[in-house]
Amino acid sequence: MSPDRDPSAPAIVSLSDEDLMAQVAEDDERAFTELVRRFQGRVINLVSRVLNDRECADDLAQEVFVRVFVHRRNYRRGSKFSTWLFTIAANLAKNEIRRRVRRRNWFSLDALQEMLKDSVIQLADPTESRESALEREQLQAAVGLAIATVPEKYRLALVLRDIEGLPYEEIALVLNIPGGTVRSRINRARSMLKRKLQPLLRKVVAP
Amino acid sequence: MNCTQARRLFGACWDDETTQVERELLESHFASCPRCRAAYDEFSRALELAASLPRVEPAPDLVERLLSRVRRLGPAPDHLPALRPVWLPVAAAAAVLVIVGILLAPWFGLRPAPPSGPSQLARQPVAQPVRVPTAAPQPAVAGAPAPRPGAGTEFVGIPDSLFDHSEDMEFILDPVTLHRGRASVARASLKQPGIQGEQAVITF
Ligand SMILES: [Zn+2]
Repeated sequence: MSPDRDPSAPAIVSLSDEDLMAQVAEDDERAFTELVRRFQGRVINLVSRVLNDRECADDLAQEVFVRVFVHRRNYRRGSKFSTWLFTIAANLAKNEIRRRVRRRNWFSLDALQEMLKDSVIQLADPTESRESALEREQLQAAVGLAIATVPEKYRLALVLRDIEGLPYEEIALVLNIPGGTVRSRINRARSMLKRKLQPLLRKVVAP
Repeated sequence: MNCTQARRLFGACWDDETTQVERELLESHFASCPRCRAAYDEFSRALELAASLPRVEPAPDLVERLLSRVRRLGPAPDHLPALRPVWLPVAAAAAVLVIVGILLAPWFGLRPAPPSGPSQLARQPVAQPVRVPTAAPQPAVAGAPAPRPGAGTEFVGIPDSLFDHSEDMEFILDPVTLHRGRASVARASLKQPGIQGEQAVITF
């Protein structure tokens, strides 16, 4: 926060996430801004895929970073910043899912089945240029909805692994569960996703 | 390798975590079992579809909105003080006893307390938000508003919360040592006009 910062200090963009977070703990706003810039895309993507709700994702992502800021003195140096950040994001997403379940404000499996039954979705063949934007959007909406109908504890693991690409060990830390449990949850989640998308997948298998 | 063994390897195969031997066994099983081959194709197609969803982009003004929000927050406490809801009923009961005592005092021939005493007590809300003294206030971030003169305390917590996390919130803020904390909720007095839900305060 000092404008007359030491000119020999390393440029903020060259600092590691962990070094930036250490500066945030010292109330450095520029370091906080840089961390938000680095991670906002991943946080937004994570929460919007978990919730299947683009509108809410912005607010929830903001909430995640506010908590990073509020708890800046609780961050332990030596732990990976992104793991800490994803832990906060996963917990807030989990709470939001449970809140919606309580209010019965949630996606139903029926909606997904209707969507898959009625739509004219054709699986996108990467070599096929005739695929219309509309079809692509419908396909993506169906996949998003399929993920959203996977039960919460499997869904979080699935999105962290197969959309955000986190290693199993990091997912275990984020979800605070043993490594073996992470693997079995992801296996279950993948089978569920495959079953839900079956009507789409068959089309590609058929000649 | 039979079908069950083959299907058990689908995940590891997708994650590229199979050994050379496992991969060869799986390939030779696929060669003789079109159903497993097709099942693996469907499995990998489903995961490809999930992985190839377009990335959701943040709103362009997210950083600015966030900064203006955190600038309104007070300085960071070194450790968040624990708000223990178990004390709230006790404090409420004590306040009621004191007020009743003061009201009954004249009946027992006791001198009434000086006027400032009871009125101050009566003004005390039952559920006090957690406050910490900020004797030497240190602005949280550059441009953070200085504490009002005379205001010796700052709110601690997270204002403007759009989300109701009043239940089942469990934070693990330090993944290395796996510290656990359970959230408690400061009700009523922390509510801001127009904002639904309750404010969560994380304790450690
Ligand atoms: Zn087979």
